[in-house]
Amino acid sequence: MSPATLLIAFPKGRLGDDLIPKLAGTPLALDPEALKSRALRIPTATTGVAVLLLKGADLPRYVAAGVASLGIVGSDTLDELDMDLLELADLGFGACRLSLCAQTGVSLAELRAKPRLRLATKFRKATEAWLAEEGLTAELVPLSSSAELAPLLGLADAIVDLVQTGGTLKAHGLVETAVLGRSSARLVAARGAYLSEPARLHALAEALIAALRE
Amino acid sequence: MPIHTPHFPDLLFDSAARLRRWEAALMALLADHGYRELHPSLVLREAMPEGALRFFDGDDLVSLRWDFTVALAGLLTRSFPEPPARVAYAGAVFRRPAQPWEAVERFEVGCERIQPQGEASAEADVELARLLMAIPGVLGLKSALLHLGHAALVRRPLEAEALPQDRTQAVVAALSRRAPHRVAQAMEGHPAAARITAHATALLAELDGPRTLEALDQSPYAELLRDEREHLDRALRALLPILPPRLDLRVDLADVAGLGFYTGPTLRLWAPGAQQELAAGGRYDQLFPALGKPWQAAGFCVRLSRLLDLAATRPDLFEAPR
Repeated sequence: MSPATLLIAFPKGRLGDDLIPKLAGTPLALDPEALKSRALRIPTATTGVAVLLLKGADLPRYVAAGVASLGIVGSDTLDELDMDLLELADLGFGACRLSLCAQTGVSLAELRAKPRLRLATKFRKATEAWLAEEGLTAELVPLSSSAELAPLLGLADAIVDLVQTGGTLKAHGLVETAVLGRSSARLVAARGAYLSEPARLHALAEALIAALRE
Repeated sequence: MPIHTPHFPDLLFDSAARLRRWEAALMALLADHGYRELHPSLVLREAMPEGALRFFDGDDLVSLRWDFTVALAGLLTRSFPEPPARVAYAGAVFRRPAQPWEAVERFEVGCERIQPQGEASAEADVELARLLMAIPGVLGLKSALLHLGHAALVRRPLEAEALPQDRTQAVVAALSRRAPHRVAQAMEGHPAAARITAHATALLAELDGPRTLEALDQSPYAELLRDEREHLDRALRALLPILPPRLDLRVDLADVAGLGFYTGPTLRLWAPGAQQELAAGGRYDQLFPALGKPWQAAGFCVRLSRLLDLAATRPDLFEAPR
């Protein structure tokens, strides 16, 4: 890879689906032909700037290591990983809640009263922080996806997961019993790249903010 | 076959030669400016931090030298009734890495300017900045960037608002991420929330060159920070006219790295494209008083291990050795 090529990391999945159309018609629009392929490195309309399509949980590592100079990722992922990178802006889109969810009819008080509470989540750090604030203890069941199934199948009493519209929860007979935090898309930057090459990165960061901020 | 962990790097011919050459050139530069070498022991018996490499020497727990400034401070306070004005050091420090790609053994060259407490320090700060400005040329870096900051720009407003420690840490962490929205989040519900958030926004304003200091006009603490601003302004006026070719000087108002240690101006040297700063330092006037000596000090450290990594991965950033 040429050091002259500047890489921006975009998340795959819902957040990526939200942001790619917002860049259409801008200098950072992604090449539509490359997007249709299985390629994970996509040229943009600007020569020397390409986009990496990455899993959200991996994205901060690419940016912290300086492989990608800029990136867009949910603040929930940032909070879980706590990597050394810059967080230049809250872009506002992709807003969702990090919530404790249980089967319809199960209240927060009932969960609190359980002698051995089991919570399924991939948000271990946020869940532990909330439990500490509430003075509760729980067994955490680590799951990386489809957490909604856990209470239905007896794997856990409740889940801590991201909720955007609530549609998936409803489809599985779950309701939010407490909101632990909020998440939205953030523009992140590699500390070294941003501080050592201001002329190269600042304008690009501003262009992303202008195109994406809600 | 044994696993060769990069945390304990072996230097092969080119890197070993480069380390020797750079160390000699930097120590010669410091000696030319009156800095005399001190060599604190590699094994320390002082109270040691969590990240130090510790082992038992008989019944005594000791550690490998984890920080030159701390090791030198011990040596200086034990050995000198009055501080030597200028000292230099070269060698390795050993620390468990905070990031997975960092090495345990790190080679450094550095210097300290020490004065009795109360003596004017502005000239010493400029002297150190001028020395640091000469270092990219000594190392053969094609271009570099020097960031000038001031720890008090963050510290004093937080102290003036008497923020509790957890909130202070959250604000500093947010500034370290250059995230004004996180500062607002950290200050939620506090009476000083609007003031501290406005101050953070001012510190994070991106202005170029000498105009950067004008961002402080937008801060509610502009008056409180008048001395610090004047100090930075004087430093800029002294340094900009003598800036070597291919070295850029920028003011970084939001530099909070080492905020618990630094008390005044801070310096950080970057090369374009480097992922980590190559040299760093500043004024730390509380170190010697905490050890019972009425001395003030400033210094910087050149991180030779990072430079060796950079020379291996980005040789295009360096002139070919003569």
